[in-house]
Amino acid sequence: MLEIIFRYPDLSLFLALMVIGYTCGTIAEKRHYKSIIKREQELVKLMVVNAEGRFAEGAVRTSFLVNGSTVVSNDYFKRLLAILRNVFGGRVKAYESLIDRARREAILRMKEEARARGAHMIVNLRLETSTIGRSANKKNRIGSIETLAYGTAVVMNRP
Amino acid sequence: MASNYLFKGFSMILTNVGSVPGKKIVEHFGIVQGSTVRAKHLGRDMMAGLKNLVGGELKGYTELLQESRQEAMDRMAEQARQLGGNAVINIRFATSSVAQGAAELFAYGTAVRVE
Amino acid sequence: MKFTPKHIEGNVNVSKTHPLAELGWLVGGLMLLVLIFYLLLGVSTDIAVAKIPVSAEVWLGEYFIGGMDALESEPLQKLLQPLLDNLPADSPLHEYHFHAQVAENEQINALALPGGHIVVFSGLLEQAESENEVAMVLAHELGHFAHRDHLRRLGRGLGLTVAAIMLFGQDSVASDLASKFFLVSESHYSREQESAADRFGLELLVAGYGHAGGATDFFARVGKDAGSRIPYLLASHPHPDDRVRELQKLIAANGYRVDAVIPLGKDLQEGLPVREDASFEEPVSGAEK
Repeated sequence: MLEIIFRYPDLSLFLALMVIGYTCGTIAEKRHYKSIIKREQELVKLMVVNAEGRFAEGAVRTSFLVNGSTVVSNDYFKRLLAILRNVFGGRVKAYESLIDRARREAILRMKEEARARGAHMIVNLRLETSTIGRSANKKNRIGSIETLAYGTAVVMNRP
Repeated sequence: MASNYLFKGFSMILTNVGSVPGKKIVEHFGIVQGSTVRAKHLGRDMMAGLKNLVGGELKGYTELLQESRQEAMDRMAEQARQLGGNAVINIRFATSSVAQGAAELFAYGTAVRVE
Repeated sequence: MKFTPKHIEGNVNVSKTHPLAELGWLVGGLMLLVLIFYLLLGVSTDIAVAKIPVSAEVWLGEYFIGGMDALESEPLQKLLQPLLDNLPADSPLHEYHFHAQVAENEQINALALPGGHIVVFSGLLEQAESENEVAMVLAHELGHFAHRDHLRRLGRGLGLTVAAIMLFGQDSVASDLASKFFLVSESHYSREQESAADRFGLELLVAGYGHAGGATDFFARVGKDAGSRIPYLLASHPHPDDRVRELQKLIAANGYRVDAVIPLGKDLQEGLPVREDASFEEPVSGAEK
């Protein structure tokens, strides 16, 4: 058995990386989702809209720009799935979870910053996504994903 | 009268302005988002390669992106329905390429209830 | 305007499929696709290659033989002659001019190159103990020519590479995976070719020498050092012990006689290019190297 491993080292390495990628990736993903859900439930009272806010005279004490961003990367196993997907087309399920996590995390960080500075709501939310990293935009390579969420946090003149 | 978006038997109003023209917003629920990542397959790739020679519309890709946009909107409307809203205002779309040969379609807006 | 905060349960933006299940589907689909192309390609190259005329092959062969450092060997050519004289009258091999050559190389091997060149490595000659063994090796190589194995392998390899590049692009992981699948089936194909060449070689040896002595000696000797069968699962040749068994079965089935072998003549050893550290030893039959 060991003979086969030594005869085809690149194949064995490939399989080993796949297994490591899969296990660590799944664990990291589950942990991240738990953390996201917990923080979302805590911050759900902080209102976020993507409309422009219209406020009455004197209703607002102060307002400032807040943003939150994340850069997330996928594990080896998921990258392989995405590449194989390219043959058959269809939904790239491996990447859906990644983007979802990245985006929710970015929004949460923005909310946390607003909450820390005492804001009551966030208006005019915008979301941006891009690929960065050394391997982004190169042929047949997959980079990491950066998500940015930004908006105007408003502190109301509450009595 | 705003046209309704029918999906799963529900009628959801979608607009990309800050209100539903002609209706009053009574309740709002926050941000809803829908996204999907789609890859092209080899057949479309080869046709696109050919079109690079002769020029013209890449119908395969147009259809692909249209389907993806539809799915992203469906997912966003589903979130709004779960929250109890019947309209989504201020819809914005974003497209980005996240992996070789795959594009992410993303739609987000504010879920509201109008009367 | 009332604000009702509510947490969204579940996740519409993520599909419910388990990644391992998805991997299974994708890899299965890929393998199916590859299998279909492989079968089509294999069949079409086999048909196309058989039609290549010998003259074209000879022209191609000049390139291959130029790359090897091989010398014409008269004694080896003399060994080849009784085999050539006994070819069946309708054999396509009559169209070839066969050249038997020796190359300086420690490996115990012999090659059949396009165009009728048979190159025997000096390592093999040093190992060999009888004329009949060497004749068996030559006859085996003639078998490859008769079936045009080398052209088939070239054609298949080329066809598969081109197909993989066209389907998956040059550097993709998918084409790497595909070529790993090919490895298994190509090695099986290659082993089938070797067995067929063994059968042809045995018949020719018997026709040339009148008996089947010496046919299995070479493989039996190599088999002693060959070790386990596991590396041979992906090798291009069958395990030497398996080859010995197959040959013995054929000898028994056809009722060939097994007579005494003729020891390897000194002139064949002399045919080797002289090495700097050469200390000439008398070949003693039965001596282990």
